[in-house]
Formats: sequence, structure tokens, C-alpha cells
Amino acid sequence: MADKKQKTALPVWILTGLFLLILCIAVSIALLIRPYEKAQTYLNIVFMDQNMKIAPSSGLEGLVIKENQIETTPVSDIPEAEQKFYDTGEIIRPVFGEQYAVLQCDAISLSVPVYWGSSAELLERGACQASSSVVIGEKGNSVIDAHVNTFFADLNQLENGNLITLYTSYGIFEYQVSEKIQFLNTDKKYVLPTDDDRLTLYTCEAQVLGTSDNRTGVICNLISRKFYNPAEGETDHD
Amino acid sequence: MTKIKLYFPKIILTFLMIFLLIGTELSILIQHKALTSQTFESIVSQQALDEKSYSALESYFKSRANSTGIPADVYLNAISQEEIRQGILSSISEAVEHMHSHIGDGFVISMDFTELETSVTEFFNQYADENNYQKDEIFNQKVQANIQEAEEKILYTVDTFKFRTIYEHGWFDTIRKFLDIFRTVMTVLCICTAVILILLILCCKGDFSELLYWLGLSELISSLLVSVPCLYLVKSNYFSGFVVKDIQIYAAVTGYLNYITNRISVAFMITGITGIIFLIIFAVMQKSKKQTS
Repeated sequence: MADKKQKTALPVWILTGLFLLILCIAVSIALLIRPYEKAQTYLNIVFMDQNMKIAPSSGLEGLVIKENQIETTPVSDIPEAEQKFYDTGEIIRPVFGEQYAVLQCDAISLSVPVYWGSSAELLERGACQASSSVVIGEKGNSVIDAHVNTFFADLNQLENGNLITLYTSYGIFEYQVSEKIQFLNTDKKYVLPTDDDRLTLYTCEAQVLGTSDNRTGVICNLISRKFYNPAEGETDHD
Repeated sequence: MTKIKLYFPKIILTFLMIFLLIGTELSILIQHKALTSQTFESIVSQQALDEKSYSALESYFKSRANSTGIPADVYLNAISQEEIRQGILSSISEAVEHMHSHIGDGFVISMDFTELETSVTEFFNQYADENNYQKDEIFNQKVQANIQEAEEKILYTVDTFKFRTIYEHGWFDTIRKFLDIFRTVMTVLCICTAVILILLILCCKGDFSELLYWLGLSELISSLLVSVPCLYLVKSNYFSGFVVKDIQIYAAVTGYLNYITNRISVAFMITGITGIIFLIIFAVMQKSKKQTS
């Protein structure tokens, strides 16, 4: 009799435990669902990087720097038979941190890689193009800056008429200096979008000590664009 | 019949006991582990925050050298990793004091910048002498501005847990009030747990093995309810997604969150193990009872 009683008690003990567990889980979910919904937005903001899940190990967290090999042979050095360019063409849009051009200027013996986007790490490596400006080859204002103590040390020596060439993976773009500019770092008028095709280069004003609030640079007008590949449907040679 | 009558009260008492155990244990952990200087200090060592902060400063001053022309060594030679460590510890002790008592206005991180000031001034003077730069009022202002900027950057960097931001938003007052309430809540929870335990003992009517069953069950379930989500957070590296990527802040915040989550899961796992032991004893006692009868 006692044995039978023990046998019937065992499932009761187990089922009681399971019932309590399920009940507690259900109550916990019911109690936490509202606060979780409220906190979810904040949690998504604070822990938004759910796809990365990689602990940072250097100062370059989140920034992927991509170097590209870009052909920088001047148009004049390319055999005539191989000179096959187009007025309009396909622009390859870079991603943040990607080197997508090489800027050259013989007047000041300048040759510097241009990165898309601007950050301290990218400025260490070359010139940076503001991602708010237009990609080289598109209509508008392409704004490029670099440190005065490194790549743009001689930028203030540029004179009107000097030529600047930008080599990209999709074409060669030539600009001519048309205006020398100086502005305060708070003044955004030279970095805003424009209707004409232009290139704005600027750097900090060279100062004996410390940083300067002044910026100095040049505005260049587009004089030629040569795309390697035609835009869709175009076959005309330049 | 009496047993069936008491079965439902026991279920209700166990159900209450489960949540009381969770509340009590969590409140004790928060009170005695989460907001103590020992916890923060252990994270400084675990995550090598002094080293990370120093390397962040190194990278910052090297990068700044490109635009200011002031070599990074001017700053870095005047400040050591040990001083950075002391700065971090100072920010922790200041924060913990703010959490536990109102200690007046201002969040002060104690650091000695004499050497830094001398180094920057010497560099500027040397530079001015070599370049015949006039040491006028503007010169002095530039020297002071550079020193101030460097000091602010260092203080910002050593504040790895962002205590200054917490102070500026007035959240220390909130934490203090919260801790005051917490002490009361903790006491109430402990009393309630004791009351429920007594009621369970009364319901079990001296049947020790049954008491072990209900206690073991409540401990095991409370352990499962807390340690499983905590283990998920730790194992899925949930905190690695923390959005601030300043290396020292990232390490401090994620290190802290992982530390606390680990502590909670370990504490509840111990509770769970105790519960399992109680259930095993209960099973053994039941078996021996069966054999006796």
C-alpha cells in the first residue's frame, strides 16, 4: 500500500516542479515584457553593433580602411591607340574608409591618396574627402582636405592656373586652380554643395604654435573628365 | 486529505519564495558587489584600463601632432602609465563617494599635471626662442590653452567609466536615493523570505524531507530564471555590441557589465546547486522511507 503511495507521489513531485517552472517563466515574461519594450529602443542604441560582436583591439574600431591600386599614368603618356575615354561614364561609389583616388599636382610635387570619409586615422594616411560632398566625376562640389603638417603642407603655394589631376579607378579628372580661399573653420560656405563642377581643397592655416581656426585652400574648376568605361548606352569616344 | 489541502498553499508559498529569493539575492549583489570601489578597481586590473587609456592618449597626441606641430612626446614624456592608473583610481573613489554620500559640488579627479605644464611650457619657449617668436600675451595664452586642452583630454581619458558624465547629469543623486531605497527593500525582502520559510515549515508539519523538496524546488527554479538569461548574455557576447568604441571606455563598460553578469550567474548557479542537493536529499529520504515501510 505504502509502495503504491510512493509510486503515485513521484510523478506528482516532478509535475509540481515542472508546473511551477512554467508558471514562473510565464509570470516573469509577463512582468518583463512591458519594461523590455520600453527599454528596447535604448538597448538597440547602446548595443546596436550586434552584427560585429568583435571586441576592439586597436584605435580603429568600426573603421575598415581599404587601400586600392589606382593607375596614375598621365594621359599624355598613354599611347594614342590605347586612349579610349568617354565623356560620361560609370562612377564607382566608394565606401567609408576606402582609398578611391590619387590626387596629383606637379606645381607643388604633390601625390596623395584620397580616402572617402574623414577621420583622424584616414588623415594619417592621406587626404580625405568629406562624404557630404559629391564623388569625383559627379556634378557638384568635391571637397578634399588633409593635414597642413603632412600632405597639404604646400597647398598655399598653389597659384591660379595650376593643374590638379585626380586619378580614380573609373577615370581621370583634371582641374585648374581658379581661386585661393581663406575661411574660418566655422564657415561652411566653401564646403557646401554647388551647381558647378568644382574641386575644393583645403587645410589648416600653417601656424607657428598650436592649431589655427583658419582654413586655407583653393577652388578648382573642372577642365576635363575622362571615364574609362562609358555610361550605359553611350559609345562616343572623347 | 490534509495533505491535499496543504498542497496548494505550499505551491503558492514556493512560488512566492522563488521571486523572493531572486529579489533578495539580486539586491544583496547590487548592494555589496555592483557599486563598490573594489569591483571597479578589479575591472581596471582585469581590462588593463591604464594601458588602454595610455595608448589612446598616445594615439591622440600623435594624431594631433599633425595639426598642431607639437610632438606627442612633449605630452607623453610628462605623463606615465602609473599616473594614468592613479587618475582612473581617483575617478573611481570620487564616484563611489558621490554614490554613497553627498560630498559637495564638483567631480574632482586628482592628477598632478606639474610635469606636463613644465614640459609644454619648455617646448613652447624653446620653439619661440629658435624661431624668434615674440613671447607676448598671445604667446602665453596659447601656452595655457594647450596645457588646458591636454589636461582636459587626459582627464576625459582616465574617466573610463564616464563618471563625470554621470555626475554632470545629476545621476549620482538618483543612485544615492536608489541605494537608500534598496537598503530598505533588501531588509523587507529578507524578512519576507524568512516569513515564507516559516510558513513553509508550518505547512510541512515537521516533514523535513518535504520541506527540502519545496526549498530545493524554489532554489532551482529561481536559479534557472536568472542564470539562464545571464549565461545567454555572456555567451552571446551581447555586451560586445556596445556602441562607444573609445577603446578604454569600451573595455571599462563591457568589462563591468560582463563582470556583474558573471557574478549574478555564479551566485544563482550556487543557489541552483544547493537546490539540486536539497532535491537529491529529498529523493534519498523518500527512498529510505519507502524501504523502511
